[in-house]
Amino acid sequence: MALVEATRLWREYHLGGEVVEALRGIDLNIEQGEFVALLGRSGSGKSTLLNLLGGLDRPSRGSIRVNGVELAEMSKTELSLYRRTTVGFIFQSFNLVTSLRAWENVALPLVFQGIGRFERRKRAHGLLERVGLGKRANHVPSEMSGGEQQRVAIARALVNDPKLLLCDEPTGNLDTATSEQIMALLDESHRAGTTLVMVTHDPELAEKHTQRTLKMADGQFLTEVAA
Amino acid sequence: MKGILGLAFEGLLRKKGRNLLTMSGVLIGVFALTMIVSLGEGLAHAVTDTVSGQDNLRQVGVTGGFGIELSNDPFDVSIEGEMPDDRRERLRRAAVNRRQIRQWYGRRVTQVTEETMATLATLPHVESISPVIVERYEVKVGEFESGPKLSFGVDVAQRRYEGRIIAGSYFSAPDAGEVILHEYLLYKWGMLEGDDYSGVLGKKISLKSIINEQDPAANAPPQMQGFMEGLTPEEREAAMKLLPRLMGMAQQTRKPVEREFTVVGVMRETIPGDPLNIIEDGQSVQADVFLPLETARAMFEESAVNAQLGYPAAVVIVDSPDNAPGVEQAVRDKGFTAFSVASVLKQVETMLTVITVIIAFLTGIALIVSTLGIVNTMITSVLERTREIGIFKAVGATNAQVMAVFLTESAMIGLVGGLLGLGLAVLAMLPGDAIGGAMIAERAAIPYRGNVFVLPMWLAVAGPALGAVTAVLAAIVPARRAARIDPVKALRHD
Repeated sequence: MALVEATRLWREYHLGGEVVEALRGIDLNIEQGEFVALLGRSGSGKSTLLNLLGGLDRPSRGSIRVNGVELAEMSKTELSLYRRTTVGFIFQSFNLVTSLRAWENVALPLVFQGIGRFERRKRAHGLLERVGLGKRANHVPSEMSGGEQQRVAIARALVNDPKLLLCDEPTGNLDTATSEQIMALLDESHRAGTTLVMVTHDPELAEKHTQRTLKMADGQFLTEVAA
Repeated sequence: MKGILGLAFEGLLRKKGRNLLTMSGVLIGVFALTMIVSLGEGLAHAVTDTVSGQDNLRQVGVTGGFGIELSNDPFDVSIEGEMPDDRRERLRRAAVNRRQIRQWYGRRVTQVTEETMATLATLPHVESISPVIVERYEVKVGEFESGPKLSFGVDVAQRRYEGRIIAGSYFSAPDAGEVILHEYLLYKWGMLEGDDYSGVLGKKISLKSIINEQDPAANAPPQMQGFMEGLTPEEREAAMKLLPRLMGMAQQTRKPVEREFTVVGVMRETIPGDPLNIIEDGQSVQADVFLPLETARAMFEESAVNAQLGYPAAVVIVDSPDNAPGVEQAVRDKGFTAFSVASVLKQVETMLTVITVIIAFLTGIALIVSTLGIVNTMITSVLERTREIGIFKAVGATNAQVMAVFLTESAMIGLVGGLLGLGLAVLAMLPGDAIGGAMIAERAAIPYRGNVFVLPMWLAVAGPALGAVTAVLAAIVPARRAARIDPVKALRHD
C-alpha cells in the first residue's frame, strides 16, 4: 500500500497581484519504506511539495493522502496533530532552538504531546546515543559543530517515531565527510523501515542513497529515474 | 502543560534584562496598590479599634426629641394661580417658612422618662437602658464653696473611672453616700501646690439644687441651658413662654433639693489612653462632681420638674454592634433624638472605603502602564522568535499551544512582578507603620497602638493574582499573533 498518494496537486501563491504556480498538477505515489529524492533547482517546487507532504502547508487544489488520511481537508489543529504523530522534519539549517540544550531540542516534540519531563529526558538520551551524541546531551547548539547539530536535528525528527521522514537538503550546509555521516544515519533509519523523502540539488547524493529520484522543474516532474 | 511552563520559563531567561524591566512595571503597580489598600484597611482598623472598646459600638445615645411626622413634609407645598416661576418660588418659600414655625408649635415632645425608657427597653435587640443623670448643684465642703457645678451619675459597678483616682479612693458601694471630686474644682478652690487634698478628703460635702426666682431661664433643664445663653432678657422672656409648649413643661417652681455626702476621692482629667466611652464621656466631660448613679438618680427625681421633664439623656445597650444602627433608627421612629457610634463608624468606614477605592483606582493606572510595557515586550519577543515558533509548529505544536507558551511567559512576568511588589510592600510597611503611627500619635488625641498598614489576607492573594491576570490580558494579542504565524514562512525567517 502506498504511504503517500497525491493526485493533481496544485499550489499557487499570490504575490502582489501575481499568481505564482509553485506546483502544477502533480501526481505522486510513495510506497511504505521507500527512500525518494526530489531533485531540482531552487524554485522548481520541491520544497513546496515537501511542505505539503509534511502538513506545514495546504494545497490549493488536488488531493494528498498520507497513511490513508486526506491532508487537504484538515483543519490547522488536525495538521498539527498529523505533524506531531506522523512526520519528522530535517532542515538544511538544522532549525534547533538555540537556547535549549541538545536533549531538550530532541525532546521538544514530546513537550507538545504532554509527555512528562522524566520520560522526555529518557527518550531524548536514547536517541542522542543512537546518533552518537550521548555525551553532548547537555550542550547548547552554539557549542556544537554543524554536523553535530544536524545529528541532534535527526534525533529530534525521530523522537516521535515518524512514518515519514522529510529532509530538506539535510547536507546542504555540511562538508563532504560530515555529509556522509548524516546520510549514513538517514540510511540507517531507512533500513529500520522509515519512509524518507529528501529534497536535494545533488544528483550524485540522490543516486547513491535513494531508491528513486524525482526530477522537478516549474512545479512538475520531469522524469522519474529509478536507482 | 509542565513542558510548556518550562519552555516559557526558558524563554524568559533568554532576555533577562528586558523581562526584569517589564516585571518592574508590574512590581511598582502591585506595590502601590497593596500599600494603598493596606493603608485604607489599617485606617479603618484604627478607627474601629479606637472606638470599639468599652461597648461603644453597642451603645445608642438617646435624648428627647420633637416627634417629626413624615407625612407633614414642610417642603411639600403648592402655590396656586398663574404667575412667573420666580414669584411662585418666593411664595413657596414663604409658605414653607410659615408652616415650619406652625409645626414647631404643634409638635409633640418625646421625653426620656421612666415610661418612655420602658418602651425603648422592649425594642428588639435592646439589652438594657439606663438614664444619664447630669445636674447642676451648688457645692460646699467646709470653707470651700461653689456656684452651680455639673454633677454626673457614675455606674459604680462598671469601675470605668477607677483608674482616674489620684487621691483617696473609688466608690466603695453604690449606696455608701460617697462623692468624688474633679481635680479641676479643687484647683479652682485654691489647691495649687503638690497633691495634698487632705482639706477635702473624708470631709462632708453638701449638694444643693439651684433655684433662681428672678431668672426663669436658669431653671430650665440643663439640656436647654445652652439654648438660653446669648439671648437678650426680652428674648429670654419670650423663650420661657415658649418653653413649656416646646417641652411640655409644667409651670412649676422647682423644689430645692439638698443632700450631704462624704468626699472619698479625687479624680483627674482624662488623658490619652484612658478607656474611652464616647457617649458617656460626651455627657460627663465638664463634670466636677461624681456621684453613684443611683444616688444621682434619687436626687434628680426629687425635683418635681425633673420628674416631669425626664432625664437629659439615656443610653441603650444593644445586643450586638451590627444591630446598633437599626436600634438607633427604631429609637428615632419613636420620636427621640438618637446617636450611635456604630452608625458613625459605619459612615466613616464607608467613606474610607470610597476614598481607598478611588485612590486604588488611580494607582491602578500604574498597572495599566505596566500592561503597555508587557504588550511591547511580548510583541518584540514574538518577532524575535518567529523562527522558533516555526520550529514549535513543525514538531507538532498546535496554535493553542504556541499561544499558551507566550501567555505563560507573560503570566510569569506578572506573577513574579506581583509577588515581588507584595514582598516590597510588606517590607515598606515596617517603617511605614512606625512613621504613620508617630504621625497619628502627634495629631490624634487618642493613641493608637495597632498598625497603620494592615495587609488583609485576600489582598496578599489578589495583588499578585491581579499582576498575573493583567499580564495575561496584555499578552493575548501578541500571543495570538504568535499562534497565527505561518510555519513555512517562519522556518525561512532569519
